[in-house]
Amino acid sequence: MISLRGVTLVYPNGVRAIDGIDLEIAKGDFVFLVGHSGTGKSSLLRLLYREMMPTTGVITVDGIRVDRLRRGRIPALRRHLGVVFQDFKLLTDKTVWENVAFALQVTGTNTKEIVRQVPRCLDMVGLSHKSRMYPDELSGGEQQRTAIARAIVNNPKLLLCDEPTGNLDPQNTTEIMELLGRINLKGTTVVVATHNQAVVDRMRRRVVRLEDGRIITDEERGYYFLGLGQDQVLSG
Amino acid sequence: MDWGKIKFFLGEVLRNFTRNASMQITAVGTVAVTVALLGAFLYVRASVAHLGSDMLSQITASVYMNTDASAAQVEAVRTALAKDARIDKAQFVSKAEGLKELRARMKGQIDLSILTENPLPDMFRVRTRQPQEVPAVAHALAKMKGVHEVDYQRDIVARLLQIAELGRKAGIAVIAVFIVVAGIIIFNTIRLTVFARRREISIMQLVGATNMYIRMPFICEGLLDGLLGAAVALGILALAHASLAPKLAAALPWLQMNIVQVDLSSMVLELLSVGGAVGLIASWISVGRYLRT
Repeated sequence: MISLRGVTLVYPNGVRAIDGIDLEIAKGDFVFLVGHSGTGKSSLLRLLYREMMPTTGVITVDGIRVDRLRRGRIPALRRHLGVVFQDFKLLTDKTVWENVAFALQVTGTNTKEIVRQVPRCLDMVGLSHKSRMYPDELSGGEQQRTAIARAIVNNPKLLLCDEPTGNLDPQNTTEIMELLGRINLKGTTVVVATHNQAVVDRMRRRVVRLEDGRIITDEERGYYFLGLGQDQVLSG
Repeated sequence: MDWGKIKFFLGEVLRNFTRNASMQITAVGTVAVTVALLGAFLYVRASVAHLGSDMLSQITASVYMNTDASAAQVEAVRTALAKDARIDKAQFVSKAEGLKELRARMKGQIDLSILTENPLPDMFRVRTRQPQEVPAVAHALAKMKGVHEVDYQRDIVARLLQIAELGRKAGIAVIAVFIVVAGIIIFNTIRLTVFARRREISIMQLVGATNMYIRMPFICEGLLDGLLGAAVALGILALAHASLAPKLAAALPWLQMNIVQVDLSSMVLELLSVGGAVGLIASWISVGRYLRT
């Protein structure tokens, strides 16, 4: 699903955000990206949805050569993946229903399809009863669930989450992570950048640890901190 | 395009337009003032152009024969004039007719009865189809045998042609300035709405909307600014025309005909398309700049 080969990203100010990364993520995987702030987790995600172009290296997402993707072809890539952020990025003057439908409307989906897809996604995130409410009337967890519904309404093969629980309390965090787990079970590849130790330790999924723009460990069933688990596998 | 899509699209345009109401009013108002000025300018220019061409068309060349020119020579000039395609009208004024005209003109001023013989030569009054052709025609005629002199108000023709050209150039410059000003204002208005909606735009981009799709509502907004402004301007112009034209006609009777000759329906179309085009192009560039960065 995702393949990075020799990828580096140097910002115009000279900072090397990504410093030579090789990474393979298989279809249907659930992967945590962990590491301190500023180690390149967000930059790595931005490369995957072509918010950024790598300075060097080859990036393939769902068969698309993202590192060579022309500006005009970006929408085609984005329709194959969903992105979720710490700050939800909802439109405050639209209802929950409209926020989710928005993702379909702007890609020219016909009304019949919208009316079918939106309730399905709201049902999946458990917000059917609040579809007429505005984001300001929702809790943080509900706002994030709205954002997730919007991210998956296109039936993406890949879901990218950048600190999805950064603004949430433990209860909501648990619910959101369970939701991401359910989405993953339906076959969507999920990549979550986080520094929430509890989440990582409880889920016991693949953990890719970044430091200074490099991958320092890649464990199949990892913990947030290195050395806690017995089944860790060090990688290149 | 099903009805739901159209409704969504129109809703977006309307929301854009009403969100920054004060800014939209400013844009529409400025376009209105600009287009009204442009319209008034075109109106005056059309009138003046008519006036100028009226004056130019009245310019004639007077071909004076020698007093002792033979009948054959007079006939040769007459034939040459009849053959020349550039010539609209050539009127022969004989010695006797010339004196009669002179007498009529000088009546009560100079007593021409003191003349014992007719000192006037035969002459032709020549009018060309194009005023610009007068000098060339006059030059050719002056070379013919028996022709004493060709008088064609040389200075007036040159001056009038010069003024007409100057007026045309100044007009183009003024119109260009007006259009640029209107364009810049719409450009900035759209930039502000783009800025106000940058969050929405970034979300659109995130979920895979094409740039064309993102652009459309803003383009329509710019178009709406331009067209509304032009419509308001046309209202102002129509009022001004209705209330001022009769008074102007009464005060300057020689202008009356010229005002009537201004083609109002084509001016309405012109001004609307200028307003619309300015709005369209300015907003296109404005959003385009944002989407590229």
